Amino acid sequence: MKKLILFYVSAVFLAIGCGEERGDSRIKVREGVGSDNIVSNVVTRPVAKAFSALIGEGIEIDEAILRRNNAGFLELHVNGHNKSYSTKKFRYRVEWLDSDGLVVETKTSVWLRTSAMGKSPFSFKVVAPRTEAVDFRMDTRKWE
Amino acid sequence: MKAKTIQIITLVSLFSVLFIGCGEETTNIDVVHDEGKPVMALDYRDFDQAASSLVQSMLGSGALKKEDGSRYVVATGRVVNDTMQRIDTDQLMAKIEEEILNSGQAVMTSAVGSGTDKLIHETRELRDSEEFDQSSIAARGTLLAPELSIAGKIFQRNIRYDKKRQQVEYYFQLKLSDAKTGLRFWQKEIIVGKRGSNKSVAW
Repeated sequence: MKKLILFYVSAVFLAIGCGEERGDSRIKVREGVGSDNIVSNVVTRPVAKAFSALIGEGIEIDEAILRRNNAGFLELHVNGHNKSYSTKKFRYRVEWLDSDGLVVETKTSVWLRTSAMGKSPFSFKVVAPRTEAVDFRMDTRKWE
Repeated sequence: MKAKTIQIITLVSLFSVLFIGCGEETTNIDVVHDEGKPVMALDYRDFDQAASSLVQSMLGSGALKKEDGSRYVVATGRVVNDTMQRIDTDQLMAKIEEEILNSGQAVMTSAVGSGTDKLIHETRELRDSEEFDQSSIAARGTLLAPELSIAGKIFQRNIRYDKKRQQVEYYFQLKLSDAKTGLRFWQKEIIVGKRGSNKSVAW
């Protein structure tokens, strides 16, 4: 019995680890919409979700791109992905810094809400309302 | 008798201290990092969020950037409060006007629109008064007409979600139009949705 459980758990982790999404990577076909496969099916999904919750998976930021738009304002494009299976709702707050590294006072530096669906990429854009902004710092917190 | 009186006084004092101790104390809100629970009605956090998103969208669109580098004259038009709450729409517009001004791309006018400063017109009525030095009074034709106007609306929809809960949707809509041609350069809608107990009152 123990061997059977061990085999089952190993098989599930192997499947999760080796799993690759087929088709166009830009298109997300979620469970209940797409077909089940060896990696994601009615047997493996609950275990994978439980394991994800157990190790506390959450969002990860992949890149933060700064660019100046045509109006002369700095734009921050944040790209990331949600590693967990559940939707992660969170808040973010961006403060803009001038060339001396000082915070540019603005009413737009407030906690804004966003969310990322499970196992999905996300992105959001923030615009500095002053042309003197050259850099940024960003903080996140749970959306209670 | 004396002992009984002392007992009563002690008991009353004890209860008083207990009640004072249990009372909800007043605290100041940390308006930057407020961790308070959301409320069904619109609070300052909703206005902050809506204003921030609207300003970012407006400035980011480039609608306020003039090709020759000069600044647009912008007037605030009518912003309608069509919610069930008593809202001063300046709560939203003051933040937006401040950011437009600070952006350096436009100036707001106080001569016309909802942000009119009555004194601008009252001082012009002193033109024939002998009490005032006429050279200190603004000459005719000195006011600048707005080139762009901002108008908008805040409205609310209440929906019964299930037996115990209601859903309240707040829509913040703003548009920026060319005063001369009437053409609309920019517009944006922000939705703030709340779901909570039927017992909560959203007005």
